[in-house]
Amino acid sequence: MIRTEEMLLNVGPQHPSTHGVFRLVVKVDGEIIKEATPVIGYLHRGTEKLAEDLQYTQIIPYTDRMDYLSAMTNNYVICHAVETLMDLEVPERAEYLRIIAMELGRIASHLVWYGTYLMDIGTTSPFLYAFREREMIINLLNELCGARLTFNYMRIGGVKWDAPEGWIDKVREFIPYMREQLDGYHEFVTGNEIFLNRVKGVGQYTQEEAIQYSLSGANLRCTGIAYDLRKAEPYSIYHRFEFDIPVGETGDAWARYQCRMAEMAESLKILEQAVEQFPEDGKIMGKVPRIIKPPKGEVYVRIESPRGEIGCYIASEGKKTPYRLKFRRPSFYNLQILPKLLEGENMANLIAILGGVDIVLGEVDG
Amino acid sequence: MKGLAKGLAYTIRNMSKENVSYSYPDEPMPMPDRFRGIQKFYPEKCIVCNQCVNICPTDCIQLTGKKHPDPNRKGKIIETYDINFEICILCDLCTEVCPTEAIVMTNNFELADYSRDEHFKDLRWLDENDTHIREEN
Amino acid sequence: MEWVSGLLASEPSSSNFFTYIFISLPLLSVVLGFVTYAILAERKVLGYIQLRYGPNRTGGKFGLLQTVADVLKLLIKEDTRPKQADRPLFWLAPIIAFVPSFMVLSAIPFTESVVFANFGVGLLYFIAVSGLTTIGILTAGWASNNKYALMGGMRSAAQMISYEIPLLMSLVGVVLFSGSMNLIEIVEQQQYVPYILVQPIGFIIFVIAATAELNRIPFDLPEAESELIAGYHVEYSGFRFAFFMLAEYVYLFAMSALITVLFLGGWQPIPGLGFIPDFVWFAIKFSIVVYMFMWIRATWPRLRADQLMEFGWKILLPAAMANIFLSAIVKELFF
Repeated sequence: MIRTEEMLLNVGPQHPSTHGVFRLVVKVDGEIIKEATPVIGYLHRGTEKLAEDLQYTQIIPYTDRMDYLSAMTNNYVICHAVETLMDLEVPERAEYLRIIAMELGRIASHLVWYGTYLMDIGTTSPFLYAFREREMIINLLNELCGARLTFNYMRIGGVKWDAPEGWIDKVREFIPYMREQLDGYHEFVTGNEIFLNRVKGVGQYTQEEAIQYSLSGANLRCTGIAYDLRKAEPYSIYHRFEFDIPVGETGDAWARYQCRMAEMAESLKILEQAVEQFPEDGKIMGKVPRIIKPPKGEVYVRIESPRGEIGCYIASEGKKTPYRLKFRRPSFYNLQILPKLLEGENMANLIAILGGVDIVLGEVDG
Repeated sequence: MKGLAKGLAYTIRNMSKENVSYSYPDEPMPMPDRFRGIQKFYPEKCIVCNQCVNICPTDCIQLTGKKHPDPNRKGKIIETYDINFEICILCDLCTEVCPTEAIVMTNNFELADYSRDEHFKDLRWLDENDTHIREEN
Repeated sequence: MEWVSGLLASEPSSSNFFTYIFISLPLLSVVLGFVTYAILAERKVLGYIQLRYGPNRTGGKFGLLQTVADVLKLLIKEDTRPKQADRPLFWLAPIIAFVPSFMVLSAIPFTESVVFANFGVGLLYFIAVSGLTTIGILTAGWASNNKYALMGGMRSAAQMISYEIPLLMSLVGVVLFSGSMNLIEIVEQQQYVPYILVQPIGFIIFVIAATAELNRIPFDLPEAESELIAGYHVEYSGFRFAFFMLAEYVYLFAMSALITVLFLGGWQPIPGLGFIPDFVWFAIKFSIVVYMFMWIRATWPRLRADQLMEFGWKILLPAAMANIFLSAIVKELFF
């Protein structure tokens, strides 16, 4: 008599394709997943609680460590929240520097996603090609703010450093180079039949489901909803730039791939315009009181990070430190759809789906 | 089939391209001037204002001051100054607030050691860390 | 040759036993030498394709001693075994996986004179014996008492069954044309035209099926490091792990040699260049085949298990059958 039984399989926390310390407890029948339960919190550092004891400037380096692949957007969201609360004016030059830095960060973040996703699918070369370009971006940002990953670049009311001499020209030179490489990626991967077979129709969901699960970023746009906060609620000076919102149609991993690849091209468009419009001179710090004490009240701001909608809520009591601070961390919300997507899939698709959602564990666990 | 062939053509083209590896431990890796490395401390410039201690997000700086030995002069001078590099996140805030630029960043970033105790850098160590000092501050 | 035949016919004795060992030792050392440098070459090729250097520390600028150092490390490493593992099977699995990989080499003619065993059904022998390795892999997967390893072992068995058939079928065309299963005769038949030109479909099917048999990308599902971590050998360490690694690369050697023999004309020179010694010709053709495997590894992603099955049964098998049919017609009409 043949007896079969379901196995309980621990995928992670030490598994090469969970992109960090993420754990999935899956119930498998052979290779078919019956049930998947994500277990998170291995990287929880309590950023929000820590922030309650920190001055607003001191919180900025902590945000670097949430979504460590695009720390610039995190820097921005906290500064933007405090600036909104205090009604501060940010000089134009600082806004341009912020946008250039954020868009560079967005490309770098998507490059990491592209490389690691292809690594999950089973080929190692795109990872190294993507990291070649990412290294250039990192070096640019290193020259700008003195760190390769944890930038701590933005300050409330402006930015820490002005662009060094010749830096804008370096960014300008980088744009056509990156376009060329992007074409190369498409040539290398996008048409590959094995890759197409692996991603088409995998992890599919509808527009309604995406909204129900509160997905954002490319995970939402892949279903055909053109929702990008840079357009929907233009913050900073995004209204000055012309760019499109890439949308997918099918809502599967393939659409997500296309969306992210197109977003890189759009970011290059924004960069090109920002570099052209970059003011000759000007201040990089607005008029900010020496001790930052926002008035009593609360504020919620949201911006578009590479992973989706990142929000920051501050409840202030008029003191040097916030009474309560909360980040809406897009990776955490995007992850919620995972158990539903995994049901009935096999092990190979698990990796393709998890990778396609694009999570950063520092952000998921907060 | 076309996509597979294109991919093969792409990889073989890359085979003759220049390598991008850094030969890091063999050759030192130059960092831009603004790079945030281990701090350099000038004891003679310090006025013991405690601002760096207050701003540090991880509370990794500890300092004590003493009265100026010259009784005619006001103010304090620094006695001990320790940075715990186990928890320092090199965020640059201490150098930002320092009114006399007594503490500045350097480009040195190699902090690997055999013992955790070595990560407690004291005044003397930080004073002697005087290579690749950042120019812009 | 006659001396070997005499040896085979003689009574078993201890001196015969040692003679056998002494004859096979040079082959083993050549193969081990190949494996050492094939691993290095693979890492170097991957490195250069991926804009890195590959090994460049141990043994000079080119990392010539890297693999030697790696093997030494594996030798002196602690040999761990999971507590719940099936002990005898765990011990046996690497041997079952490795021994056939070495056995198949005896059938391959490297040049006209360097042949270890010249027997009539060399081709059949090769395919039959190489199939045994999968049992070793399955055993390893089962005995490790690890869920990932079990999945790897199961995938390996499924893959072997699906791809062994087209592998054999694609060879029928070659056998039809040469009229022999003896590998030396097959090479001799290719004096003017290598079979890659006569049997292009057969060649493609054989290479695809061989890649699957070798568990290499895009068919490396039993290992699939991003899904199953390391698949069937996830619990193995030290020298047992080295045996699996060795078996994998010896198969790379054997399969590449077989492709050279069957489709590229073995040691036969390109007409007009006969002054170059035959073993050089073999080495050149052989290296091209090995390089092709590495190149593919650097480029393509991995298939999914169900797609692998679909591809094997729905595309490869019918194509191989059509190829037999086509070969029979061509043979009947033109030869």
